[in-house]
Amino acid sequence: MKALAGPAMLLVIVGGFTIYKAMSKEPAPSRAFLELELAADDDDHTGTCYSLSTVLVANGVFGSATRTWSAPDPDNENRWNLELEGVSHGAGGPERVYQVFTFEKFGEQARLVDVDGSRDLPVNITENIDRLLEAPHHRRSTPVDRCLEDGGTGYQYPPKK
Amino acid sequence: MHRTLAAILSCALLLGGCSRQLDRVQVKEFIDRADDAARKRFAPEICALRGKNFEVHVTFQGHDADEPTELDMTRKLYCREAGSFSQLRQYRLERNSISIELAKDRRTAKVTADYIETMPYYEPDRIPVTPDDFRHFQVVEILDESLVGIEDGDLVFLSTNSQAHQSLVSKESVDIPYD
Repeated sequence: MKALAGPAMLLVIVGGFTIYKAMSKEPAPSRAFLELELAADDDDHTGTCYSLSTVLVANGVFGSATRTWSAPDPDNENRWNLELEGVSHGAGGPERVYQVFTFEKFGEQARLVDVDGSRDLPVNITENIDRLLEAPHHRRSTPVDRCLEDGGTGYQYPPKK
Repeated sequence: MHRTLAAILSCALLLGGCSRQLDRVQVKEFIDRADDAARKRFAPEICALRGKNFEVHVTFQGHDADEPTELDMTRKLYCREAGSFSQLRQYRLERNSISIELAKDRRTAKVTADYIETMPYYEPDRIPVTPDDFRHFQVVEILDESLVGIEDGDLVFLSTNSQAHQSLVSKESVDIPYD
């Protein structure tokens, strides 16, 4: 009995720590979700040639804004909100500036299905896709495998020089 | 042996239970510590004193605004803003009053405090070239109403409601040393 006490205690501590870490971790989409190719907002949902993670990294995930991932439906891992927040210090005083991008998985693509934001920030999906693509185009970010092949094209891809 | 163990356990439980109850001295010391952290403008320390679900609501009357702006911040956003404070080289925080109201169960307390915060005013449409590149100090009178309580064994801010009123004074009229 005594021989089991040590390992049992260790198991309780390790188990407790694991549960604590799991519960205190902020929610975020899986790597597989972030590796999906971002789709354009045209009728055909043409691929942009960049994975969602590439687009976010190229944009510096929007500078100094705070970033929060959340799943609107906790049971649905295929739809994620990315909220970016900051404080603008204008003449009238501090104001919260925010944008919420909703991405959803469709097949092998991640589509931007909704954009919400504080006033003065665009909420049109096509406009936001175009803005999101400026940074990876400018940086010549690595495209998805499909677009590395000869003749591989996508929405606004290859970018104009 | 068993009795001794039971006695030790009872004492520990009793002390643990007591330590979760607040008293005014403890709360006052906590607010002093929080004010010192703000004066140091050291974001990790400022942040550590805020609970996991800390929220702040700010009503800010700008010096030339017709209406006050309202701002809600989560802990994450508040901490990011606290980080930007480290760029200030001149800052003064004076507390003029404090009142502490313990909840009946003494697990939380409502703290009302009056502050005057003085710091450089960088005009929104100008990019300062140096930290000294400003013409006015902003003097912000703040009335803070905070709820403090124990979280994971530590006393923290649970929420704050802040009413701030900004006015500008000439740079020459205030003497705040660089730090």
